[in-house]
Amino acid sequence: MSISMALFSAPASFSPCTSHSQTPKPLFNLRPKRPQFNLLIAASGDSGGAAVAVSVTEEQPMAEAANGSVAAAPAPIAEEEKEAEVVLNTFKDPRWVNGTWELKQFEKDGKTNWDAVIDAEARRRKWLQDNPESSSNENPVVFHTSIIPWWAWMKRYHLPEAELLNGRAAMIGFFMAYLVDSLTGAGLVDQMGNFFCKSLLFVAVVGVLLIRKNEDIESVKKLIEETTLYDKQWQASWLDENKKD
Amino acid sequence: MAEHRQLSTWHNGHLSCARDLHRTPAELRQDPPKPAAKVHFKKTHIVASRTNPKLSNRNLRVAVIGGGPAGGSAAETLAKGGVETFIIERKLDNCKPCSGAIPICMVGEFDLPLDIIDRKVTKMKMISPSNVTVDIGRTLKPHEYIGMVRREILDAYLRDRAADNGAKVINGLFLKMDMPKGQNAPYLLHYTEYTGTKGGIGEKKTLEVDAVIGADGANSKVAKSINAGDYECALAFQERIRIPDEKMAYYENLAEVYVGADVSPDFYGWVFPKCNHVAVGTGTVTHKGDIKKLQLATRNRAKDKILGGQIIRVEAHPIPEHPRPRRLSGRVALVGDAAGYVTKCSGEGIYFAAKSGRMCAEAIVEGSENGKRMVDESDLRKYLEKWDKAYWPTYKVLDVLQKVFYRSNPAREAFVEMCADEYVQKMTFDSYFYKKVVPGNPLDDLKLAFNTIGSLVRANALKREMEKLSS
Repeated sequence: MSISMALFSAPASFSPCTSHSQTPKPLFNLRPKRPQFNLLIAASGDSGGAAVAVSVTEEQPMAEAANGSVAAAPAPIAEEEKEAEVVLNTFKDPRWVNGTWELKQFEKDGKTNWDAVIDAEARRRKWLQDNPESSSNENPVVFHTSIIPWWAWMKRYHLPEAELLNGRAAMIGFFMAYLVDSLTGAGLVDQMGNFFCKSLLFVAVVGVLLIRKNEDIESVKKLIEETTLYDKQWQASWLDENKKD
Repeated sequence: MAEHRQLSTWHNGHLSCARDLHRTPAELRQDPPKPAAKVHFKKTHIVASRTNPKLSNRNLRVAVIGGGPAGGSAAETLAKGGVETFIIERKLDNCKPCSGAIPICMVGEFDLPLDIIDRKVTKMKMISPSNVTVDIGRTLKPHEYIGMVRREILDAYLRDRAADNGAKVINGLFLKMDMPKGQNAPYLLHYTEYTGTKGGIGEKKTLEVDAVIGADGANSKVAKSINAGDYECALAFQERIRIPDEKMAYYENLAEVYVGADVSPDFYGWVFPKCNHVAVGTGTVTHKGDIKKLQLATRNRAKDKILGGQIIRVEAHPIPEHPRPRRLSGRVALVGDAAGYVTKCSGEGIYFAAKSGRMCAEAIVEGSENGKRMVDESDLRKYLEKWDKAYWPTYKVLDVLQKVFYRSNPAREAFVEMCADEYVQKMTFDSYFYKKVVPGNPLDDLKLAFNTIGSLVRANALKREMEKLSS
């Protein structure tokens, strides 16, 4: 073990004894996406004209600063970003205030436009995924997805898919009922009375819920194996005993 | 009074992290010995299924390979039980790369003096991939904390206490063991003993013992000797960074946990405070080759808080992910990391190492009727039975948590969101501090289940939006 520790102490880039201060050097490679991103905000932001002007003028000093020089803080930046020297790689959006989305800025006709909030948060997460940022104590992120009400999520994600699946099920169900009726003479009421048919229906419903694509079959199998793997690893010591005696 | 002393030494700021810290047990043990309210082992009233032969004119001899928490507590229990005990430890001042976090139940169960605890962490911050920050620790009662210790101090304390009870500590490296030639024949251990001279090769020696406890960690040689099989290991990588005092004040009693695919694909990154510096690290099972990149990402996420710091040490170590296929063979048993008793999700190992060492030793003491009889495999198997029964639920729950919440970034976002819930915090800390999986109020559990599913669904929905953006 001491050998492995020595190996890790040796590599040049991480020598423990130098007075290696934490310079933000590695971060300066993360440039290319920023100007595009600001354009994106300007184009699809809900906040109206003023923000658009801000974003566009921001774009230019950002692009310059991307080459490593620090921009003298351009006047239009009205946000409260404090880290002026390293302002380049932080997430910025006029509606992102104090670490969360200010819902007042998303209002349309007196009601909050929840879809826009969802879009904005998705963009923020995508931004951070591509340009990971340091977490900060001065500007902590306190956003919680539950501020968006459950029905907004349902309307946007659950309902369209449910409509699709139910539509398909209805079509197939009608066709199958007709087919079975023509083959066996049992009408719909008689079909549902039979236990075998009821269980077939159950299997069909569960199958549709779990298996949407062909790949899902594999992933369900893998999931079952995963849930029992840990148990097997723990019981390995006991298999021995049974074998011996 | 012990607590007061700890505070004053801390504020002097003179706590050195020197490796050669030799403190006598008398100095370390500040509290008066507790009255025997806590008996460490049941008085024997067993009826062995087959009678073990009585040993004539000697006590049972047991060797404990490895002198960490598992070895130290095993040796103490053996020695107290009247067994002739030997500890073989290769590096008496070993400074292990470890978070050094112990739950309060360990302080109570193992009678640890309060001054080996450098720091009491009472607050934690969980930070999600999109930097959503959640404070946990609001539900802690005033006497509850996570103790941060220096491993070299804890290990030395437990070992010295074993020595005080009669165990013989040998500074040597275990090489191999010869299997017994007959039913009750002894094991022959080969080891290299280090005499005092630094850089000396050491003398080859042998030792005859009746039973062996393998407490020699993730790269256990004892496990190899008994063909215990291999296990998957995570690689934990850590840099100790000394940061300026004003930044250190932030970490006074706070630890941070960072989750995210950038920080680790299947584990988490951390910033844990130690005596006068912080340990910043990360770990992974599946992407060990990318560990340097993951470490860079961890440092980046904590950048604001560790800016201006100096790296004083870089260390890494394997952490077992699950128990070995065979934890027991003949009269040789594995405990601690050697057996693979590290929890998933949190990667906690110190308490389980010490507890398993103690349990194994208790089983030997019982089976040998305080060292008077020979033991055999069935006596040692009782330790496995007891261990699995007591701690299996804890391990399983943590495994499920890891599988559900460390799979992907949306799952990690949901995880951090759930941590904001007070009920979750209370349940998590209760199970961590007292090592019991206690089912709470069923109504609250149901609400928790709904909220969990809700968080997961929302996070996954956002992920789908994100994917639409990139296409």
